[in-house]
Amino acid sequence: MTPLEAFDLYHGAVFRFVYRLTASEDLAEDVTQDCFLAFMRVPARFDEARGTVKTYLFSIARNLVFKRWRDNREPETLDGCEAAAPDPSANWEISSAVAAAVGALPALQQEALILFEYEGFTLEEIAEIAGTDAGTVKSRLYRARTRLRRDLAPYRSIGNTNGTIGA
Amino acid sequence: MEPLEPDELSDRELDGLLEQWRGPEAPDRLRAAIFPKSARSKWRSFWGTSIRIPLPVACTIGVVLAFGAWRLPRAAPPSVVTRTVRVEVPAPRETVVTRTVYHCQPGRAAVLQRLQPVTELQPRIIRGAANEE
Repeated sequence: MTPLEAFDLYHGAVFRFVYRLTASEDLAEDVTQDCFLAFMRVPARFDEARGTVKTYLFSIARNLVFKRWRDNREPETLDGCEAAAPDPSANWEISSAVAAAVGALPALQQEALILFEYEGFTLEEIAEIAGTDAGTVKSRLYRARTRLRRDLAPYRSIGNTNGTIGA
Repeated sequence: MEPLEPDELSDRELDGLLEQWRGPEAPDRLRAAIFPKSARSKWRSFWGTSIRIPLPVACTIGVVLAFGAWRLPRAAPPSVVTRTVRVEVPAPRETVVTRTVYHCQPGRAAVLQRLQPVTELQPRIIRGAANEE
């Protein structure tokens, strides 16, 4: 697969993945650009035996995001410290509330949840992207969903009406 | 699986909420940023294209070219080799052209010489021709 074909197929998914991780369109654009440039510069680094082009591109993108987080020292930790959950008393759109709740997860749980729920990867594929095993991914996913069930519980009835949340 | 607490969402409810978060579309300028050459003409990309050559290879090529340039003026003149080759040449064809030349006869020419234009016109009216009828 040529870099251009890979771009046509996956740039949208990579961009959305990075945007959901970082909540920044500018950063998502930069990382997506760097991701495909890295793929173009050294295409031989991709090994078909180890996975697909899609998982390879996502692994580059997640490594770039994590590197930027490490350089900027955010978030506080990758898998430990939890940020504050969204405040249901404020006026929020459901989409923003979900984004805030996912963004409040530890980074590795966040990554597993986004790849599983939004990008449709299997546990094995996520393990390949994250450089870990499927059991660890499953555990991260379980913890992420458990926390989201609790944090998003105030939005239960509102979620069905697709409206905004009032105080 | 652990039973859900009353203040927790079910899996179905959680999935319903997660679906509501839609990310933005990737901007179109990403393509131009990553593949700038696709917008260029072939000639521009031809003149702008560079290739990477390992330094030892570049040095070798340079030495060979320098040696060649030094050696070229002192090269021995090429030896002359004579060979006989039979070549068929098409021969021009002869053509016979017949021309007829007409000469005037002497008697006829004398008659023609007397037929000169008159210098003074002297018309003479002859009467009687109509009366005879």
